Formats: sequence, structure tokens, C-alpha cells
Amino acid sequence: MSKNQNIHELTNILAIALRHKIGSIVNKDEIYAQKYAKDYEMFLKEAVKISLRENWNDSDKIKIKNELKIKLKDELEKREFIDNKKFDIIDGEIDNILGVLKLG
Amino acid sequence: MVQEEKFIHKVSKGSRFNQIYIPLGMNGIFEIGDIVEIKLLRKKVSFYYSKNLKKLSNYKENLAKELFSFLSGFKEIKQAFIVGSFLTSKIDYNDIDILLISDKNIENEVYQSLIEKFNIKFHVITIPAHRFEYLIYSCPLTRSMLSYFVSNKEFILPSQNKLDINHIRFLLMTPEDLLEVNLGSRAYYDSIRRLITIESFLENKPVDILKINNQLTKITGESLFSLIKNNEIIENGQIKFLREIIKRKLDLIKNKLNKLK
Repeated sequence: MSKNQNIHELTNILAIALRHKIGSIVNKDEIYAQKYAKDYEMFLKEAVKISLRENWNDSDKIKIKNELKIKLKDELEKREFIDNKKFDIIDGEIDNILGVLKLG
Repeated sequence: MVQEEKFIHKVSKGSRFNQIYIPLGMNGIFEIGDIVEIKLLRKKVSFYYSKNLKKLSNYKENLAKELFSFLSGFKEIKQAFIVGSFLTSKIDYNDIDILLISDKNIENEVYQSLIEKFNIKFHVITIPAHRFEYLIYSCPLTRSMLSYFVSNKEFILPSQNKLDINHIRFLLMTPEDLLEVNLGSRAYYDSIRRLITIESFLENKPVDILKINNQLTKITGESLFSLIKNNEIIENGQIKFLREIIKRKLDLIKNKLNKLK
């Protein structure tokens, strides 16, 4: 698989993982904020596996961040049942997850 | 010098004050006007079964009582439940699931204390009381979790459901994602169980976790059931088969939700 394909796959799964996490944060009056965080963790684990396939340079990291932001916004726009506060925390959550994957 | 005399008794209920009676044979030792000291030796443990749970083995019941006694030391806990496979499987359980109703998030503190004291694996969830009130009506997964429990206080799961479409749609996200993303096989097990639970909830049927497991076994067959339950590697053909089940169930649930809107 080429590096570009890996970036594509990685950002797809990260966008899904963050959609779950952000959904559970902004709907925190609901129980799933606490209990269903494990859905996010399941997708994050898969993202970690993909992230280990390559050695990423600085320009790859910028590409990943930009692509992830577009995909995540799209994922969240499609889910109108997630509170609109979701758009306020996108940037922070992206920085956070990329930091965890040492891609920040 | 006063000789150290003692006796052990339960505190009993009096009309104005709770009381401790002095045993008849000790009347001469403990006399009116003497000064005594009262020390708490063991908290009383109340123990309640959900109505469809069979009596646990002595070992499990005693362990559960010890757990409740230990948890009674945390004043923030309003009610404690033990749920999950520890109750419903004879030996096939990995940890003990504990659900605590508490307005303070004491999950980590309780978890650390429990493993320190009992040296067993636990899974602890705390839920504030107002959320718990919401969940027992509106969350299919919470209702299924509470289909079998033991608790330190009486509790009856309400028979009525309240539909929160947004909550259901949130719960459907993972099964939907599994149609496109490949995760470990346990994710298919959890997702199909989740879908069966939601389906039963929408039909206003009891969400009994054992019946849900039976349904899943019927759908997948025993050998595939065992593979996905244990997160074993499965073949592409099996993934395709599981995705078809997920897709069918998702369509059915979405149709029901559209009619209920």
C-alpha cells in the first residue's frame, strides 16, 4: 500500500474515532458520554495499527491533519443528532489525537 | 480495676431510639450507671436479587455481600449493583461488573480500592442519580444490563420504555461503521447484540441479556458465536455474513424509527 493510501485509510478511521469521541463529549448529559467511550477506543486502536505502518515526515503530518479536519467536519455534519457544540471542539480534539499518535 | 467484659449484639429498633439490649446473664456485670463504649464491628448488608435471577452459589453470594459491605464505606454511593456475566455464567466471566449510583465521579477511587482489597478484576461504572433515572427508561443497553442484577437496595426496572430517537441513533453509529471499517471480530459480537437489544426495546419487549445471547447464537451458529465472542480472527466470508446481518437489522430498526417519529 502506498503512503498516500495509508494516509487516506488513517484519516478515515481517525475521523470515525473522533466522531464517536466528540459525540460522547457534547452529549454529556447522556450516559453514553461515560459508558460508550469504548466505541471510540476501538477505532483508535485500529488507527494506531495503521499509523505504525510508515515513518511520517513533517509534510505527511500536515497532510494528515488537513485531510482529517475535512473528513471529520463532513462526518459530524452528517450526524445532526449530535449537538452543534461538536464544531467548537474539532481543533482541540484533532490536536489531541494526533499527539497521542505522535503525529502532531 | 474494671475487668474487660464484652458481648456482641445487633442494634435493634426502638420506638424513639435504636437500642442494644444487655444479655440477661450479664446484668450483674453491666449495671445501670456503668460507662460503656460501643464499637461498630460489621455494617449490616442488605441484599436484593432482580426478579429473574436464580439464587447464586454461596461463594458468589458471599463475595457479592462482602463487596457491598466494602462499598458501604463510600458515603457518596447511593446504590450499588453487580451486573453482567458474573451473575449469569457459572464460570465463564472475566471480571465483575459494578454499577454505582453516585453524583460524584469516584470510579477510579473505588476501582483502585476494590482491586487492592479483593485482588480480582473489576469493571466499575458510576452514574449520577438523575442520569440513571433517564437511562432506565430510555437506554436499551442500560435496560439490558439491568435485566439481571444483585443490589444493596431494592430496585425494580420500570416496565415502560421512553423513546429517545437521538440516543438510539447514537447507539447505531458503531454497527453502521462496521459495514465499512474492519475491526476485531468482537466488535461484530457487540454490535449485533446491540442491534438485537435495540430491536427488542423498540418492540417494547423485555431486553433480557440471556435471551439476546441465545438469539445471537441462533443467528450466527455456535462456532462463529464462540469465535467472535473471544475476538478470534475470522475469514472474509464470515465477515461478509456478519455484515449482512448488521445491514438487515439496521434497515429494520431505521424503518421502525421512521414510523415512530
